[in-house]
Amino acid sequence: MSLETLCGAWLAVGLSLCIYSFLYRDNPFFKLGEHIFVGASVGYLLVITYHEVMLKKLAVPLIEQHEWRLIIPLILGLLLLARFLPRLAWTSRLTFAFILGVSSGVAIPRLLSSFVLQQVQGTLKPLVTVGPAGISFGLAELNTVLILIGVVSVLVYFFFSVEHTGSVRRVARVGSCFLMISFGAAFGYTVMARMSLLIGRFDELILYATPEYGYATVWLLGLVTGGLVWWQRRVRQAETQAPPDGAE
Amino acid sequence: MREFAVRLLQLDRRFIFVLMSVVTVLPLLYPLGLPVRISPETRQLYDTLERLPERSVVLLSLDFDPASKPELYPMTVSLLRHAFARNLRVVALTLWPAGTSMAESAVTHGAEEAGKRDGTDYVFLGYGPGEANAIINIGQSLTNAFPTDYAGRKTEALPVLEGVRSLRDIDYALSLSAGFPGLDTWYVYGKEKYGFELGGGCTAVSAPKFYPLLQTGQITGLLGGLRGAAEYETLLNQAGKATAGMDAQSATHFLIIGLIIVCNVCYLLSGRKE
Repeated sequence: MSLETLCGAWLAVGLSLCIYSFLYRDNPFFKLGEHIFVGASVGYLLVITYHEVMLKKLAVPLIEQHEWRLIIPLILGLLLLARFLPRLAWTSRLTFAFILGVSSGVAIPRLLSSFVLQQVQGTLKPLVTVGPAGISFGLAELNTVLILIGVVSVLVYFFFSVEHTGSVRRVARVGSCFLMISFGAAFGYTVMARMSLLIGRFDELILYATPEYGYATVWLLGLVTGGLVWWQRRVRQAETQAPPDGAE
Repeated sequence: MREFAVRLLQLDRRFIFVLMSVVTVLPLLYPLGLPVRISPETRQLYDTLERLPERSVVLLSLDFDPASKPELYPMTVSLLRHAFARNLRVVALTLWPAGTSMAESAVTHGAEEAGKRDGTDYVFLGYGPGEANAIINIGQSLTNAFPTDYAGRKTEALPVLEGVRSLRDIDYALSLSAGFPGLDTWYVYGKEKYGFELGGGCTAVSAPKFYPLLQTGQITGLLGGLRGAAEYETLLNQAGKATAGMDAQSATHFLIIGLIIVCNVCYLLSGRKE
């Protein structure tokens, strides 16, 4: 195994344990891991953006291939930086206007079509199937009926122009049940996602606890635990030595 | 009994953390081998890839970063294995800058494992900046959006992209998404206009928002979270990280359900009003 892989494993284990130490309480190990994560993420993003965008998509085509049309996005991008110069700050509005205008123009029709029209079309399906053998009603049709009831009752639930009394109230209650079920499903999926992340991390921690990786997890778990105990004792000592509130 | 219930309700939450850790680690060390049932949406994605003729073009957009690796990386491995086994051409890219190296490593390892040649059987285009604009760009001209691939070679000259000028020439696009931009972005700005077949995978958190798209046939196939990845591994008969993690997943779910029941019973026994 290369030294690079080994160092990466030890670093990954150490930082994971630093972050997990927050489960005990907020502590310097967690803060160290958090700050390294933020710094490394920003640094990595900067490098990728510089290499993949500034160099490959702008500098190289502009300088080597003389694609002069790229001057337009370059100027628009530079205008954004004018925000830092009070006298020229207004010029950045040109870029913002361009971004807002193009984004809205592109997004609004596409989003309406994708998430409203297509979804409505999907809801308006025949409730029964009429074929040569007559009218049939199976599980697929039951599904369509459930979707229809769900959509209508939830819409009624959010319809506040009419007072929710009598039959409107009953329909709205059904809508509320549909909403609760959807929230429950969403929460269940969220729990599943968080557990998956925990499993993924533990899986790697177990891998790095093997002799091949020099028992990285075992050593670093001991180190972080010992560090937490030492830090906790110091905090307690400081608390007992500190004068009570209001004392001078 | 009431006193015991009250004490249990006041239990330090760190006991639950320890319990959760134990329940997660044990199945990882000693797998139970619980069965994995295949859901229709996973089967749909698998069947779509199976139906594609050899040398069809599959676009794989790895729209995630290391934070979602446990869920989406096993999907990436399985989909690459399947595509390469079916002798399909793979065009991979990412819309997430932080996921670039990981995506490149996944594609390269998958190709090496299957003995595929870079530039002929597959290509990694790198990071496409601009989120939705990147998709619109690729829709207009792939070679304009990516004049060079991640390795710096001219995309026009790559055999793997022969006959592929834009998204219209893609046979099946797959987005493994951890958020925005992701599967829905590919649908809104890609499929809606350029009319290619679209499927994908997502983290379990975002799975509920994709089911309406699946229900209406707007997307073809969906892998939801670690479960979706495990189902795909089962379909390929290649148990991997996701299948190994499903035992732990089930164990933690049982624990959470158990804790919810215990807490509710204790709450009722304690006679609390609030």
